[in-house]
Amino acid sequence: MAATEHGGSGFNIHPMDQFRVEPLFGGTEVHWYTITNATLWMALTVIAVSLLMVAGSRGRALIPSRAQSVAEVTYGFVRKMVEDIAGKEGMKYFPYIFTIFLFILLANLLALIPTSFSSTSHIAVTAVMAIGVFVTVTVIGFMKHGAGFLKLFWVASAPTVALRVVLAAIEVISYFVRPVSHSIRLAGNLMAGHAVLKVFAGFAGALGVGAVIPIVAITAIYGLELLVACIQAYVFTILTVVYLNDALHPGH
Amino acid sequence: MSEDPFAERLKRLEDRIAAANASRAQPAARVGAKFTQGSLAWRMVTELVAGLLLGLAMGWGLDSLFGTRPVFLVVFVLLGFAAGIRVMLRTAAEVREGKAEGALMRPSGSDGGPERDDARRPGEE
Repeated sequence: MAATEHGGSGFNIHPMDQFRVEPLFGGTEVHWYTITNATLWMALTVIAVSLLMVAGSRGRALIPSRAQSVAEVTYGFVRKMVEDIAGKEGMKYFPYIFTIFLFILLANLLALIPTSFSSTSHIAVTAVMAIGVFVTVTVIGFMKHGAGFLKLFWVASAPTVALRVVLAAIEVISYFVRPVSHSIRLAGNLMAGHAVLKVFAGFAGALGVGAVIPIVAITAIYGLELLVACIQAYVFTILTVVYLNDALHPGH
Repeated sequence: MSEDPFAERLKRLEDRIAAANASRAQPAARVGAKFTQGSLAWRMVTELVAGLLLGLAMGWGLDSLFGTRPVFLVVFVLLGFAAGIRVMLRTAAEVREGKAEGALMRPSGSDGGPERDDARRPGEE
């Protein structure tokens, strides 16, 4: 993935090469069972989550170790978020939400390790999570409220029936817009940030002595990416909770 | 006589604790504020475009189902656009009321406490 060789003719930057999914153990075709770099880094994410939450909090010490306090703070943070937005009823779904949060957060953070693979920059990964949330939330809505859940789409305050039908169509489409934007945002943010890093790295390779400037810029962008990684995990989770709340209390 | 210095010291300690709390609460909420504006703008654009594209896809699908090429396409692109605007406006309302992602942009360190009461029911108008 060395995208920064400067040949005889100007720049030779391939910022998108880092997102290529490649089989780890030879071969060129990717089947559904092929173990790729995406598989590897998602597995590492799961391992990292387990290390943090299971091994980190194993001590159950009254005075927590560093790992334990990180685990506790994360837990408390997400728990408070769910409680504040979705109320006590939402706490039933806390494990699911917490899992999503931890997976995205650690996938984003692991992606910041140089030469690593950013699994959450792929729409395929984020879309699966967004669709999972979408289906879960919709099913919960119908289970809790039956057909009454459809009232979410029916704007009863509109004056005429014709207008209500048009508004219902708009509401239904906007309901389906949510998972799309939900997934595109996470993947887009990650991909854009990592591509920018690579482009600047390419400048550094081509500039020789003047490389100091892009390197300083990379340092700054890296800091920003750290922020993006955390904020996007937070945003994905909080939107999940907001959607969940809509399903639990579909009052318009 | 002996009470006075203790009360004095206690008061000084309380002042210091209050000052420390204040200085700790502030930066946490402000670090991302500027950046979050950009992130929100990006979110709104995505929602707008996603609505439009979704309408386009639905119209296209219905047309090829019924063989009426331009009719549903036109109608659903308009509906999709309206839906995109609808979602975007909802996001804007979230920001205005400091709910959901907008909570990241609230000016000072109101990280919890009584202010959180208004964050109870986002998605409502």
